[in-house]
Amino acid sequence: MDFNYTPEEVQFRKDLRQWLENALPEGWGETAFEPEDEDERAMFRLDWERKLHSGGWSGINWPKEYGGRGATLIERAIFAEEMARVRAPEGLNIIGHNLAGTTILRHGSEAQKKRFLPKIISSEEVWCQGFSEPNAGSDLASVRTRAERRGDKFIVNGQKIWTSYAQYSQWCFALVRTDPDAPKHKGLSFLLIDMSTPGISIRPLRQISGECEFNETFFDDVEVPVENIVGDINDGWRIAMTTLAYERGPEDALGRQIRFKQELDKLIETTITTVRGGARLVDDPIVRQRLARSITEVEIMRLNAVRTFSKYLNGEERGPDASIIKLYWSHAAQRMYEAAMDILGPTAPIDAPDPLSAAGGRFQLSYLQSKAFTIYSGSSEIQRNIIGERMLGLPR
Amino acid sequence: MNFGFNEEQKSLGETIAQLLGDFPALLAPDPGEAQDPQVWISLAELGLFSLLVPEADGGVGLSLVDIALGVEALGAGLAPPIVASTLIATDLIAQYGTAEQKARLFPRIASGDLKIGLATLEADQGYDPGQVRTLLGGGGVSGTKILVPGGQDADIFLVLVQSDKQPALILIQREARGLSLRPHADIDPSSGLCELILEGAAIADDALISHKAPGEAVERLFDVAATIYAGMEIGIAARMLDTAVEYAKTRVQFGQPIGAFQAIKHGCADMAVSVEAGRSAAYYAFWAASENVSDRARASSMAKAYCGEVSRDVCNHAIQIHGGMGFTWELGLHRFLRRAKILEHGFGNHAWHYERVITATVAGGSRVADVERDAA
Repeated sequence: MDFNYTPEEVQFRKDLRQWLENALPEGWGETAFEPEDEDERAMFRLDWERKLHSGGWSGINWPKEYGGRGATLIERAIFAEEMARVRAPEGLNIIGHNLAGTTILRHGSEAQKKRFLPKIISSEEVWCQGFSEPNAGSDLASVRTRAERRGDKFIVNGQKIWTSYAQYSQWCFALVRTDPDAPKHKGLSFLLIDMSTPGISIRPLRQISGECEFNETFFDDVEVPVENIVGDINDGWRIAMTTLAYERGPEDALGRQIRFKQELDKLIETTITTVRGGARLVDDPIVRQRLARSITEVEIMRLNAVRTFSKYLNGEERGPDASIIKLYWSHAAQRMYEAAMDILGPTAPIDAPDPLSAAGGRFQLSYLQSKAFTIYSGSSEIQRNIIGERMLGLPR
Repeated sequence: MNFGFNEEQKSLGETIAQLLGDFPALLAPDPGEAQDPQVWISLAELGLFSLLVPEADGGVGLSLVDIALGVEALGAGLAPPIVASTLIATDLIAQYGTAEQKARLFPRIASGDLKIGLATLEADQGYDPGQVRTLLGGGGVSGTKILVPGGQDADIFLVLVQSDKQPALILIQREARGLSLRPHADIDPSSGLCELILEGAAIADDALISHKAPGEAVERLFDVAATIYAGMEIGIAARMLDTAVEYAKTRVQFGQPIGAFQAIKHGCADMAVSVEAGRSAAYYAFWAASENVSDRARASSMAKAYCGEVSRDVCNHAIQIHGGMGFTWELGLHRFLRRAKILEHGFGNHAWHYERVITATVAGGSRVADVERDAA
């Protein structure tokens, strides 16, 4: 066990820091912020991602031959830490980087790797995920969107739902039914679909927070070239499981942990600067207990991720341990935002742009957004089934 | 950067688990009978007490990280708590003991000839070492300590006292004049908890741990003890999880193993998540104490607070999953619940440690861990 860094890792951090100093907008986090408008914010995030790429700071641990930096998983973790330190903007192509890219890297053909990975790394092409359907949520293997083979094409018909960032995406990876007569897990395939193909339409869905990050996506006789299948026909379930392992895995958790830590820092700062009834919020013993528990839990999110990274580095396979990571961070983060709303006291309901809102309304927005954490990328109930059956060996 | 254990470290954990498994008395339903003097002797023969003794002093010179999984096994196996007390004291003497103390004590510690009792708490004070009232002065020590694990077995005591208006640690021989013991009536008789009464108790000339920085020694004692207690708590929690899962696989109701019911299965999954989260916190604390990084106090408090809550929750839930059997004397789950409660209140409960976490975070501008990582 060693939390120290090698000279190469220290140099990596130093180089990144130096680059970041010049790359961030002037006054970032103090006078300069992300745009308020959702679409403008998306474009701002895309610009930031492309800037990272032009500096060589994208695809950190992906092979150089596909445009990556060829660095280690540890350097990937350092990258996440440094982004947190400067409170860097998020990216837009998160699904491309974390899910599409990792899945193609693992299961894609050489031609697919060469075609898709460089443009994911450069964020020239943004990706969305076509898994869930109105009648296939937790029961994902029940997807009904059909892909029929006709010559050198698949013809896709059906509907996907909760497709985040579909409105900004050039590509979608989708789980589709290619054999309606096979048992449900055995008739699925994993397709890469060009979002500009005729027959695709999207309809925004407004979320609990009022934002429209996700959508319904409709496929009406959409033609997909056969070379855009990942893996074999009817072998899509196995490949989708890889995608889910990454979606729930330590890379994802570490990126999130950093944002939660930023918000927690902001919350602590707010309790130090807010005086009520003549006393600072941070001097209230109940507030202190709640904060300390969240500080501990947010730190454990990081430690869980680093422990799991180490297992992978030591040669262990990705498996149901990802469900432990996801179940932990999602509930811990929800507790943190509940704590934030409790701690803010009587003014907790006051949201931006009201001048009395705390920290520009960020806790209200995050509190509402946090409701999704225990639902998406496999609800907590599904994660508990996976842990119970596949890790603990309990009967189905 | 590697947050994993090597083969030797894993092997120590397995060896200690196996060794303790050979003593069914440790798990006896009656906590008053859950003792076997041979346990200490076997652990000593294994060399456990020489592990933390520095090589220069004739020991093996291992770090706290090296013994972390061993500590977890001590918790899971309900080893007598004075085993942990002796390891904690060994670390302290290695770090802060004088050359004379080391020369006098280490040979006996390493061979397992010396059991060391830890006496820190007092009945009318909280957990904070700064509140200590037991007074060192005039060549003797006066005051009353409570909840000293394995008090009657100890050959020597490490006692928290007030010296020059500062908390400090001193060593007192079991047979010192003015020292007496009274066993407590308490929730876990297998821990051997005693009151230690000091009435002008005589101490040797070199009894004080660290003349230069007695306060620093006290801080290290609390951080290392909190870490080791957290390790034992997570050992208990992991064992209770395994026990509950095993029962859920075999107990049949409504025509199927109860583990097939989601109400039970999901409870087990939540326990597994808690145990892994607790391990992350505990292992990090072991590392922070081994390397003596500036995040040590915060890391130990996070671990002690969190693992205390985990061990409590998992013991409760494991008993619930066993239904009526869980509530019986005979099955003995109460032994783990009892021991977990003793550990929870040793060296600060979760509320006290959470207060330390928030204090350290606010004082460090909330970025204590980052600073440490940057410095590394």
